Amino acid sequence: MNHDINIKECRINCFRESKVPGEFMLQMRVPGGMIDSKYLDLIQKISKTYGDGNFHFGTRQTFDICRIKYEDIDKVNKCIEDYIKEVEEGLCDVDMDLVAHEKVGRKVNTGYPTIGARNISACIGNYHCICGNINTFELARKIEPIIFPSHYHIKINISGCPNDCNKAHLCDFGIIGVSKLVYHKERCIGCGLCAKICESHATRVLSLNKETGKIDKDECCCVGCSECARHCPTSAWTRSEQKFYRVILGGRTGRQTPRTGKMFLNWASEETLLQVLGNWQKFSSWVMDYKPEYLHGGHLIDRAGYKKFKEIMLDGVHLNPECIVAEDIYFNEIEYRSNFNVKPLSKHKKAGPGA
Amino acid sequence: MSYKLTLKEAQKLLDKLSLTYDIYAPKKLKAQGRYSDTDIIKYEKIKNIDEIEYREKSTYPMKEVISPIQQTIFYFTEDKYRESKVSTKPILVFSRACDINAIKVQTKIFIGNGGFVDYYYQRMYERIKFILMECDFESDTCFCVSMNANITNNYSLAVRFEDDGIHFEVKDKDFTNYFKGYPHSSFAPKFVMENKTKVHIPEIKDRNMLNKIKKSPMWKEYDKRCISCGACTIACSTCTCFLTRDLIYGDNSEVGERRRLSSSCQIDDFALVAGGGNYRTTAGDRMRYKVLHKFHDYKERFKDSHMCVGCGRCIERCPEYISITATVEKLNKEIERIEKEEASNV
Ligand code: SF4
Ligand code: SF4
Ligand code: SF4
Ligand code: SF4
Ligand code: SF4
Repeated sequence: MNHDINIKECRINCFRESKVPGEFMLQMRVPGGMIDSKYLDLIQKISKTYGDGNFHFGTRQTFDICRIKYEDIDKVNKCIEDYIKEVEEGLCDVDMDLVAHEKVGRKVNTGYPTIGARNISACIGNYHCICGNINTFELARKIEPIIFPSHYHIKINISGCPNDCNKAHLCDFGIIGVSKLVYHKERCIGCGLCAKICESHATRVLSLNKETGKIDKDECCCVGCSECARHCPTSAWTRSEQKFYRVILGGRTGRQTPRTGKMFLNWASEETLLQVLGNWQKFSSWVMDYKPEYLHGGHLIDRAGYKKFKEIMLDGVHLNPECIVAEDIYFNEIEYRSNFNVKPLSKHKKAGPGA
Repeated sequence: MSYKLTLKEAQKLLDKLSLTYDIYAPKKLKAQGRYSDTDIIKYEKIKNIDEIEYREKSTYPMKEVISPIQQTIFYFTEDKYRESKVSTKPILVFSRACDINAIKVQTKIFIGNGGFVDYYYQRMYERIKFILMECDFESDTCFCVSMNANITNNYSLAVRFEDDGIHFEVKDKDFTNYFKGYPHSSFAPKFVMENKTKVHIPEIKDRNMLNKIKKSPMWKEYDKRCISCGACTIACSTCTCFLTRDLIYGDNSEVGERRRLSSSCQIDDFALVAGGGNYRTTAGDRMRYKVLHKFHDYKERFKDSHMCVGCGRCIERCPEYISITATVEKLNKEIERIEKEEASNV
């Protein structure tokens, strides 16, 4: 087959080229992985009309429809216009004409203006889960307009609690809902269940004091899971009304240096969290010297180094008083090839002006 | 005599009553529930009318006003001890019929049990007067009618909440003066006369049947289902079990205080007796003990009513979805089965 297709443009438009010549896979964003099921009709229609009738759950919770012919891309984009309007603009308050804060003059029926920041994925969170501490998809919908549309890449995973079912430890910016627990001593009957549960389900920071019949807590190492509150028969442990977040930084998979992320912020308030994310654009553009290229967010952090990352990401941010920040981060990569990083200076990647 | 007060007037009344009485009512505590963004409703001292959560049943029972989960009963130094002080101010409690009837059960146990009077219970009980709240909600966990606990006349005032005001019925002459000058109303409190959930009380005809029930395999189900957390009993309007614990001050073991704490027959070391033996070792055994206590043993002993008042709080609090009404119906089936078995053996 003789094709002349700008596949980079297609990719930015959220159509990824297939191994089958001339065919593409559409990836539709579902911020937080939660959507009205009425849209499944639309997915079916596109798949039956332009695809091969199959449907795949994207690993980042996108709706993926394969086998779309290049010639049909315009028609498919027309089909998804309402979806984009209702989900991105309606649910998430995104301005689809502002790519990286600049007006691009997006025309109707042209699909997604960029693929950059990836779909924010989330576990079901406290909408359903008995362990969840936060509403994960509502948070995703608040973050969406901060990071999208933008050509800069960032992967955000949200988990409702430290059980981390949605692998906040394996993405650039993992967000975990945590709770500060309040101990109402006068309601504690000293049954010791919370201590047992903390030991078997969490971090063993609680112990039953034999002298007082009350619970002692090693505050520093509580992961904020709320398992104690969930199990206490008397409501002697309760969650604080305010929601808190832990941010796990720099986790990734990949061919070169996969690694689990490490803690960047703990006990951040929602306001703090959103302010920090608001600096992602600034950080990415600084590293890339204002040329958005296809480069994973985690690699940007590598290039700048954690200290520089921290400086830019916290710039102008008003941290809530409970929030603590990693002074340094020591990542522990899997090097598929040892001394992978030892190479001629000329091959080293640069960050910042002139990069 | 009944009256209707606007919300503003009701607040004024509450302010005035507060001078003489400590006023308790069910209050909603936001986001303090077992699961994230769920609430609990428990009894607290209130100052404002709008603190009263009357639309839903409370999570925790009214009994907490009289027997709080924890109370210090006395302080000791060497061979002397001094009772803890409690206020002598009388108490007014906004209560539902089941809760008021539950206090009747509690009082039997604390004040009428074998001639023994529990001083710490009594000194609270004597201060209490009830303000009856109507149950204007549908809850499929309530079965007060089956337990004959839906009606009471043990109250001083009765109330009906409406959007624009509150109706009061004044039954206790002590309160007549508070209502002078307020417009009359034809209000008379309505009691719930039928619940969605009905329970048939098991008929255990003799010792022989009781023994067979105790040995029945039906309780085994709970070995697997019940996690022995005790939440059902803490939420129970009628459970009375407590333990005492001495708290020693600092390093002087002669100085300290004695506390009374609620406890639970469902927790696995409850039946630990001196010597380390534990005579109810499985969750199923403990469930059997609880169910028979509530639906048989108590009545055997005190004759007048069953212990359970059908408030259904144990059902709502059980994280494992164990329903007391379903359990009692299972017991009924088991009794039927045993009876049939006996008949065919003759
Ligand atoms: S991460 Fe927590 S909230 Fe989310 S699904 Fe897992 S257990 Fe539930
Ligand atoms: S589970 Fe609750 S009542 Fe039991 S020891 Fe812990 S805090 Fe106290
Ligand atoms: S919130 Fe903290 S104290 Fe409670 S179970 Fe989890 S780690 Fe333990
Ligand atoms: S056993 Fe259950 S329904 Fe009966 S009084 Fe206790 S909590 Fe209420
Ligand atoms: S019946 Fe339910 S609430 Fe009661 S101890 Fe068992 S699991 Fe806990």
